[in-house]
Amino acid sequence: MRPTVTHTPSTTTPAGAAFSPPAAADAALVLQGLNKELGGRPIVTDLDLAVARGELVCLLGPSGCGKTTTLRMVAGFLAPDRGAIVVDGKDVTGLPPERRPSAMVFQSYALWPHMTVFKNVAFPLRLKGVGKAQIAERVEAALELVNLTHHMGSRPGRISGGEQQRVALARALVQEPALLLLDEPLSNLDARLRVKVREEIREIQQRLGITTLLVTHDQDEALSVSDRIAVMNDGRIEQVSAPTQLYAEPETEFVATFVGSLNRVSGTFSDGGFVPGPEVTAVRPEDISLHDHPGSATFPVRVDRVVPHGSFIEVVLSGEGQTLRAFRSGTVPVVGSQVHARVERSMAFVDGRRVS
Amino acid sequence: MRRTRVAARSSGQPRAVLGFVMALPPLLLIAVFAGLPIVLAVGYSLGHTGGLNSVTASYAQHQHVATSGWGTFAAYREMLATGRFRTDVAVTVLVTLLSTAVVLVLALGIALNLRLRGGRVAGAIAALGVIPLFIPVVIASWAILTFYSTDGFIRSVFAQVGLDAPALGFKVVTIVIGSVWTSLPFAVLMVSSGIQSVPDAVIDAARDSGAGLLRTTRSVILPMAFIPIVIATTFTAIGVLGSFTVPYFTGPNSPRMLGVDIQNYFAAYNQPQQAIVIAVTIFVLASGIAVLYIWANFRSANSKDL
Repeated sequence: MRPTVTHTPSTTTPAGAAFSPPAAADAALVLQGLNKELGGRPIVTDLDLAVARGELVCLLGPSGCGKTTTLRMVAGFLAPDRGAIVVDGKDVTGLPPERRPSAMVFQSYALWPHMTVFKNVAFPLRLKGVGKAQIAERVEAALELVNLTHHMGSRPGRISGGEQQRVALARALVQEPALLLLDEPLSNLDARLRVKVREEIREIQQRLGITTLLVTHDQDEALSVSDRIAVMNDGRIEQVSAPTQLYAEPETEFVATFVGSLNRVSGTFSDGGFVPGPEVTAVRPEDISLHDHPGSATFPVRVDRVVPHGSFIEVVLSGEGQTLRAFRSGTVPVVGSQVHARVERSMAFVDGRRVS
Repeated sequence: MRRTRVAARSSGQPRAVLGFVMALPPLLLIAVFAGLPIVLAVGYSLGHTGGLNSVTASYAQHQHVATSGWGTFAAYREMLATGRFRTDVAVTVLVTLLSTAVVLVLALGIALNLRLRGGRVAGAIAALGVIPLFIPVVIASWAILTFYSTDGFIRSVFAQVGLDAPALGFKVVTIVIGSVWTSLPFAVLMVSSGIQSVPDAVIDAARDSGAGLLRTTRSVILPMAFIPIVIATTFTAIGVLGSFTVPYFTGPNSPRMLGVDIQNYFAAYNQPQQAIVIAVTIFVLASGIAVLYIWANFRSANSKDL
C-alpha cells in the first residue's frame, strides 16, 4: 500500500524561481478539495492546487492517476462530486464547458474535419458573435502565432500531425482564454517533432503570459516546459515543485521514482559498505561516482554491463549484494572489471516519506 | 532492367485475363438476368412487340405497336394523358417525401438522444426503433390497418369514452404510417452508427469553444455524420417509392401508389406495356434519388482519401 500525502501548496519552490505558490486570492486557477468517483472508484481525492497568473503548471503522473479527470473537471466536461474550481476569482464549478473562460487542446487535436483550418479557428469567435472583419483579423493573428497562415484554406486531413496540433493550439488561443488547458497535446507526435512543438508551445505561452494547465505522463515534457509540476498518484497530488526542485528534492518515494532514474535499496550506505535495514535509500545514478582505486567511503563493485546512451554511459554494477546503476561520461569501464563506487548523495524514505 | 520489365509485362497479361475471367460470371449473370429483360421491357414499352417480346405481345391488351424503326411513345403519351396516372405519380412522390422526412426526423431524434444523453431510456428507445425489422411487412401492414381502421383499436378505445377518433384505414396517411414503420429500423441503424462514430473529442471541442448542444449538433455532429444520413435517406426514399405491400394493404383504391398500379395494369388489366411505362416512371424518379446516393458515396471515398 503506497502512502498517501495530503498536499498543501508546495513549500519547496526554490528561491529565485519564476513562480512561487500563489495565495489563493491571487491565483488565476484554484482547485479546492476536488473529489471525483467514476464507476464507484475514487479517481481524484481531496485535490488542492493553485496556479498563478501566467504560470504553466503540469499535472504529471502515470496512466490512471486522475490527471486527465482533473483537467476535464476544470474544463467542465465532468462535474466534481465535491470541491470547487475557481478561475480568476469566479467559482465556475457549476458552469457547463461552453460558459467557462478556459480553452482546451485535446490529445487527438479534435479538429473538425469538414471545416477548413480557418473555419476551425474561427468557430469559437463566430459563436461569440464577433464581426466578420475582426474574425478574419484574429484568426490570421492566431495562425501567424503558430506559423500556419499558408494552410488557412486546407482541411485538417490534408496537413501533418504537428500542423494539426498547432491548429488546435491556435483554436484555443484565438479565444484569448483566461486559462489554457492542454491534454497530453504532444503524445501523438513523433519524438523529434514532440521536442520542437513543446518548445513552440512554451514560447507562445510565455510570450502571451497565458495561465496554463498541462497534463502529461512524459516526465521529459513536464520537466522541460513547466514552471511548476504537480506529480499525481492514485488521485492525489504528491508534490508541487519547480522542475529542478522536484528532481533534486523529491518529497516522497513515488515522486523520486517517477521523475528521473533511481537506485532503490533497503538499507543504508555507510563508510565503505552497505548495511541492510528497513529504511529505503534512493540514489540517483549520477550521484554514484566510480574510481579505479579505493578511497574514502568507497566500496568495491563489479562492472556487469555498459549501456551507451550517446551523451552519457549507463554502467550496471553489482556489489554488496545489490545491483546499482551509475551514469558517467568520459572513459568507458571494462565489463567484468572491479572498480570502487562511492555514493555522493542519497535520499532516505520511510513509509514512502522522505526522512533525509 | 529491360528484361525485368518485359518479364513483368508477359506475366501481367495472363493475370489480367484471369482477373477478367473471374469477374465474368457475375457480370454475365447481371447482363442476362437483369440487363436483357430491362432492354426488352423498355423496347416493348416503345412498341417493339416482335422477337422475345412476341409472347407477351400475343396476350397483352391495348398495346401500342411501333411504326418506325426506333419505336413509338404512344404508350407513354397515353399514360401521361390519364388524369388518374398523374394523380398516382403525385401521391407516390408525396408519400415518399413525407415518409422519408418523418423517418429521418425520428431516426435523427433517436440517434442524437442516444449519442448526447445516453442512458438506459435512450438505449431502450433505439432498440424499440429496430423491432419492426423483425416483423414481416405483410403482418405489420395488417396490424396497422386493424389498429387505425374504422373498426380498429384506436376508434374502439375512443368509443369507450364516447369520443369519435378519426378512421385512418385505407387512406394515404395510412400508407405513410406503414412506410415509416417499415423504413425506420434501417434508418435508425444507419443514422445511429454514423452519429455514434463522431468522436467524443470533437463534440467536447465544440462545447469547449462555446457551442451549446443545439449548435454542436448543427455545426459538428450532423455535418460529420452527413454521408450515412444521406445514404439512409436515399435508401428510405427508394424503398418507399417502389413499395407494394404497405400501399396495397393499407392504402385507398384511389389514388394509388405506382407500385400497386403496376400490379393492377400487369395482372388485373392485362396491359403489360402500360405496366412497364409505370415501371420506367418509377425508375426515372428513383434515378434522381440514386444520384444523391452516388454523390454521397463519391464524397465518402474522397474524404477517406485525405
